[in-house]
Amino acid sequence: MAESPVIQIDELSKIYTVTEREAGLVAAMRSLVKRKTRDVRAVDGISFSVSEGEIVGFLGPNGAGKTTTLKMLSGLLYPTSGRATVLGFRPWERNRDYLRRMTLVMGQRNQLVWDIPVIDTFELNRAVYRIPEAEYTRTVGVLTELLELAPLLRKPTRNLSLGERMKCEIAAALLHRPWVLFLDEPTIGLDVTMQRRIRQFIAEYNQRTGATVLLTSHYMADVEALCKRVIVIHHGKLLYDGDLSGLADRFAPFKTVEVELQNGAGGRPLDRYGEVLVQSEGRITLRVPKVETATVTGRLLAELDVVDLTVQDPPIEDVIEQVFSQPDGATSHLPGTVADAPFDSQKQ
Amino acid sequence: MRYFRLFATYLRLGVLGELEYRANFWINLLQSLLELGVALGGLAVVFTHTDNLGGWQPDELLALVGVYFLIGGLIRTLIRPSMSKFMEDVRQGTLDFTLTKPADAQVLVSIQRVEIWRMVDVLIAIPVLSTALLRLGAQLGPAETLTFAVTLLSGSLIIYSFLLMLSTCAFWFVRVENIQVIFMSMWQAGRWPVSIYPAWLRAVLTFLVPVAFATTVPASAVSGRITTATLFGSIALAAALLLVSRWFWRLGIRFYSGASA
Repeated sequence: MAESPVIQIDELSKIYTVTEREAGLVAAMRSLVKRKTRDVRAVDGISFSVSEGEIVGFLGPNGAGKTTTLKMLSGLLYPTSGRATVLGFRPWERNRDYLRRMTLVMGQRNQLVWDIPVIDTFELNRAVYRIPEAEYTRTVGVLTELLELAPLLRKPTRNLSLGERMKCEIAAALLHRPWVLFLDEPTIGLDVTMQRRIRQFIAEYNQRTGATVLLTSHYMADVEALCKRVIVIHHGKLLYDGDLSGLADRFAPFKTVEVELQNGAGGRPLDRYGEVLVQSEGRITLRVPKVETATVTGRLLAELDVVDLTVQDPPIEDVIEQVFSQPDGATSHLPGTVADAPFDSQKQ
Repeated sequence: MRYFRLFATYLRLGVLGELEYRANFWINLLQSLLELGVALGGLAVVFTHTDNLGGWQPDELLALVGVYFLIGGLIRTLIRPSMSKFMEDVRQGTLDFTLTKPADAQVLVSIQRVEIWRMVDVLIAIPVLSTALLRLGAQLGPAETLTFAVTLLSGSLIIYSFLLMLSTCAFWFVRVENIQVIFMSMWQAGRWPVSIYPAWLRAVLTFLVPVAFATTVPASAVSGRITTATLFGSIALAAALLLVSRWFWRLGIRFYSGASA
């Protein structure tokens, strides 16, 4: 089979026209008649492609344009410009053959019918997707086993906990065995154990069916566990597309150095060694440019009463935070920002 | 056929869902019986003073009350709950789930919620309407019966299309529940033949809010007072409104896909 990508996006953009008004009653009254509008570039010319069977993490802070992109890919929004094909379909044409092959899960929104048992919502989806009886029974069986749904299916949705509900939401979205999954924060608000269950399930589903998954999450554990590849967008622009491991090198060329001092810092200025992240009693955590790690640790050991010293890669959360703290359109000079960091140990 | 099966599924879910709230049945029954009492009481009061209201005989007005309850029951059982759910979905963004389904979104939206207890209105309508029809029996041939059925159907379609268009406004204005409340109060006027109202109100109830086509017109079919022009007018209006509401719905969807966040 030719390796044509399942998802292919070229220069996709979405501009919203939003109404805005000043605070206050008069402004509110005025806006009833005439509204001021402003254009917001939610997605600004992004391009990428995803191959069959990949699980790609789609990262960005709130408002970065992730959900907008997912909505365009699932056919809910027309793009302002640019092209996208998924499984060879233009999503927003909402071709039924396309809709039958993809699914959208939104962690913050519910498709299960509130008052009736979960299994009855499943039945409804069976009717909507026209799933043959035998296939339906088999799929429900598999999903029930993988997600441990057996005790939940007969309960009305409103009696389920958030985690249980999410498991059922995911199952309901997979009954028609889609080839492409758009998962928008599927683990949001869940406890750690439940997050892990969902994560394992997504991995398992991907392995069993070879389905392509595009996933957004604010939990880096999700991303680390599931996605070899991540796509980072910020202010609607693509910042990074590549291996998760490469993300740290590119955006956070830092190490975290943690030192424990014999007599505390003793009033000595520590920011000569690096940016002080945490300082409590005798423990200090410093952020040090990767290239200077050796020099800095050497100096720390020579100049201070060090009891213990560890050097670590920064946690992925910090990397991401580092990425998103970049100003708008900073992509081009990002690696250079190291030099502008609020310390300059070279001069010491 | 396929959508029929879908509807049957929704119907089943409606039953299941409402079985959870059994008290609703009794409340709705009580409410509907009260409303029927008021309607019949109103008729009784009127006919102690006169035996003819705007050219309508008591039995004909009874038929009108029957039609009013029948179509009102359909609106309350299916159309209004579905449209409310739709507007709620627009506001909460859950309409996205409907739009990503491989089925006609308008159909899904229109049949998605069945408030089964509201069927009591239909159950009440049947004896009322039967009584009226029996008493008018002499005038009722197959042609009248057919005309009655046709006007009933086109009246329902007119009301459906009209409510669909009102609800579709939710795409632009998001909060439009009040429109339904306004409609339902206009609907109450359908309890009386529109011919008793002053000309301007008659025009409003016929053309602006087409209540007359769903109540007065079918009821005049059983009393043999319907003109051919009205009959075909009703069919034509139903067809036209179905098309226009479909077009408007698509416009709304396009707007939603183009602008919503």
